[in-house]
Amino acid sequence: MAHRKKNRNVGVIGVGQTKHSSHREDVTQPEMVHEAVREALEDAGLTMKDVDCIVHGNMELFEMIHQPDLWHELGTGAYGKNAFRLTTGGTTGATLFCAGDNLVASGMYDVALVIGFEKLQEGHTTGGITNMADPLWFRSLQTGALTGTCAYDVIQEFGEERATRAAMMYRIIMDQNACLNPKAHRAFGLEWDQMDHLIKTSAKLIGELKIIDMCSQSDGACAVIMACEEKAKALSDKPVWVRDHITVHREETINILGYDQATKEKMTHRFAAEQLFKRNGITNPVEYFDVFEMYDPSSWWGVDWLREFFLLEGDEHLKLVEEKEIAIEGKIPVNPSGGVIASNPIGATALVRPAEACLQVRGDAGAHQIPRPVNHALASGFGGTLWTVLILLEKELGW
Amino acid sequence: MSEKFGVKVEDIFNTMQERFRPEGAAGVDASFGYDIPGRGKWRLTVKDGTMKIEQADDLSGCVAVTRADPDTFVGVNIGKVDGTAAFTSGKISVEGDVGAVSTTFKLFKRFTPPKKELTVGEYILDMFGTLESRFQPQAAEGLDITIGYDIGGREGGRWTARIKDGKCTVKEGLALSPNLTMIVKAKDWVDLMLGEVDAMTLLSTGRAKVEGDMNLAVKLGELFAKYKAPGEEAEEGQQLLVLKKVISVGQRFATGPVMGKYLNGLKEKKILANKCPECGRTQVPPREICALCRVRCEEWVEVGPKGNVRLVDTAYYASPDPLSGETRETPYGLCYILLDGCKGQEVFAHFIRDDQLERIEMGWNEKKGTIVRPVWAEKRTGRVSDIKYFEIDE
Amino acid sequence: MKDGFDTTDCFVVEGKLALPYSYFAGRVGSKFLTTIRDEKRIMGIKCDKCKKVFVPPRQTCDVCMEDIRDNWVDVQNTGEVTNFTVVRYNDKHLPKKAPYILAMIKLDGADTSLVHVVEGMDVGKAKIGMKVQAVFARETTSTILDIDHFAPVS
Repeated sequence: MAHRKKNRNVGVIGVGQTKHSSHREDVTQPEMVHEAVREALEDAGLTMKDVDCIVHGNMELFEMIHQPDLWHELGTGAYGKNAFRLTTGGTTGATLFCAGDNLVASGMYDVALVIGFEKLQEGHTTGGITNMADPLWFRSLQTGALTGTCAYDVIQEFGEERATRAAMMYRIIMDQNACLNPKAHRAFGLEWDQMDHLIKTSAKLIGELKIIDMCSQSDGACAVIMACEEKAKALSDKPVWVRDHITVHREETINILGYDQATKEKMTHRFAAEQLFKRNGITNPVEYFDVFEMYDPSSWWGVDWLREFFLLEGDEHLKLVEEKEIAIEGKIPVNPSGGVIASNPIGATALVRPAEACLQVRGDAGAHQIPRPVNHALASGFGGTLWTVLILLEKELGW
Repeated sequence: MSEKFGVKVEDIFNTMQERFRPEGAAGVDASFGYDIPGRGKWRLTVKDGTMKIEQADDLSGCVAVTRADPDTFVGVNIGKVDGTAAFTSGKISVEGDVGAVSTTFKLFKRFTPPKKELTVGEYILDMFGTLESRFQPQAAEGLDITIGYDIGGREGGRWTARIKDGKCTVKEGLALSPNLTMIVKAKDWVDLMLGEVDAMTLLSTGRAKVEGDMNLAVKLGELFAKYKAPGEEAEEGQQLLVLKKVISVGQRFATGPVMGKYLNGLKEKKILANKCPECGRTQVPPREICALCRVRCEEWVEVGPKGNVRLVDTAYYASPDPLSGETRETPYGLCYILLDGCKGQEVFAHFIRDDQLERIEMGWNEKKGTIVRPVWAEKRTGRVSDIKYFEIDE
Repeated sequence: MKDGFDTTDCFVVEGKLALPYSYFAGRVGSKFLTTIRDEKRIMGIKCDKCKKVFVPPRQTCDVCMEDIRDNWVDVQNTGEVTNFTVVRYNDKHLPKKAPYILAMIKLDGADTSLVHVVEGMDVGKAKIGMKVQAVFARETTSTILDIDHFAPVS
């Protein structure tokens, strides 16, 4: 499969987010988007005059506004500029980031403003998600993003006690991170001594997936400004460089729920990680990366995908959780922002991942900043029937 | 002289210590000055996760000094005046590091003017005393349900709301088998009704329990109007409008020849799959092309009708089916079945008979799960519902 | 029909897309609508930089990106039609029965046009430039239809 070298390097020079929440009744969609745009412009020290193109996206149908980028012109600054709209389901935010990268790397645009948003309170999220399925068959059967299959997998492999404890440990670490992030939506202040109680009492949604495990539904927007190497160096003293990214989608009917190890399909996460790391000469991802902002829609998936993304085997990933190596002070911090379980404005979520990773590289994350130099960052997006987008960010050029 | 909102500037500063959030002070080490002409000057010092607030004439050394007139200052602090707007329009000005001032926002819980407080017990009695009058019949169309409230603690109690034919009667005591029971301590219930905590937080952290139909729990917010404490004055704030609508758009889906043949097969109680000529994978439901090999699949086979269950995903929370606008009753089981004639991962998705959910054993590798067979609908029209569900083959 | 393309099994399945939605007017939108609803008065917001009065009002001026949300001004209930079309088909999402005039109306004091319905005249006689006046609804819904329609001013 051909994968050429970029025409020129691209750096992130501005990041903006709204405080993700569940009750933004005080703003319309363009007003909410504008908050993130304004913050990104202020962060970059730019005005709309400096921006050449806008890339806008969210998950189609959630708010039942067709082509929202037109209405949002009231808040995105797209008036009179080249503007693109993308929507790829849950991976939208990450795809927007990749598109911004591609557009600027191509040489056609010098500065791109990438905007992801979602106002989930305005629609019915799970109902909307079921619209992804084939209307002739699966749509009436599907349970949306809620599935107990991952919990089942992990429990089958490691036993109920170890598996549930690992998932809950992961959850608590994420919540502790969220409490340090002023932009996070849900930060409960969970304590370690609540673990057993939560495992016993949290209501089940489907299978063993409990309400405490599942990501929230948030209203929020995120904006990222990307510039070509020359402009990035001129406009910012700490641009974060986009080294590489990969997008791996899977087809709906290649089933993975036969529970037959002999014919088990490789997950898109592992496939993406293998390809991306190989072509960038990364042989030991856990050692190489200083932070991983992973799109973790539930604590079960969060735990399971550590193994897939870091190309681990056996129970190495459980150990990373059990020994708290994924906490902010740990060996490989995962989601210092609190991740998707804390804040999930779906169209923005996958964009918040590289945005937060950039803040970490710059040292600007505030209270949830990793207390060590962050030179190499990884960010992932997730959506649909297990689609993966994986993004590689670097502090310095010359990799 | 008291400020416009009945709150004094001094109240804001005097309550800072009790509203302080140490977790918001992580990494903050600075002094912030406040200059409220006509009222005085204050210095806020934050260091090592603690704070100190004192009146001061001298604000030198402060990283920033915020200046505002008393009404604006109070208004912003109680959430009645938009801070950004006040700042943009110059009603609030900052001398010094503006960015530093924004770090102060997460230092404190919002100031709430002390209102005439009832005891928890008084609130509970008033909340359940007004439940019937707050009933919204238009949201209860077609409903015939019983909701139980098990409010724990000394100030708690038990109530049952019976909703039928667009009417609601509330009685003391818990009915025998309500469709839904809310189990929560009195203080948490009061906080929930007053909007001081949200339901998701209570449920996720186990402080509230819901027994029975979780879908009904979601509907509760629509069935009863929001509780207003007795004597609560009309909010001086502005009403924020929300337009709620069920958008229903008619749709027609063309089956094409491949799904068409499959769906027509269902009419004849046949489950048809097609096979890839290269990898031999069966696809059920069928697809025109094998995505792995990128070739047409033109060989058809009949599979099943029996099979073994590989997984049952038991759903306790259902979302509306957009094709019908209706929501399934829970719990129900979405299952993945390896039909006879299929192998490996070539599973078929459908429902398991509700009353047999607990008896299903799931397969793993060569071990077969419970053998099941389809139960066909009387009238079949070429849709997924031509199979009602799968049941144990006994 | 293409050669060799067998349509014997093709048919059409009727379905729908039905989900509940909520739309928030926001602070600015709510003030605009509640003022129409409760005081029968129409307001706009002015961008001092661009010297433009927006009706309906908006929080940010999309040209100069200034935050203009507090700069409320009153506009008249009268205005002129800057453009229009006649809707000649019926559908459940449309506000009126066909045929009706759907017009862009620049109220006196505003610099942008508001879309609304003109009633009380022969649809064939509508003209760009004609003067109209707001007629407020008796029963309100907290939507833009709290202005029931605009009527021609003789």
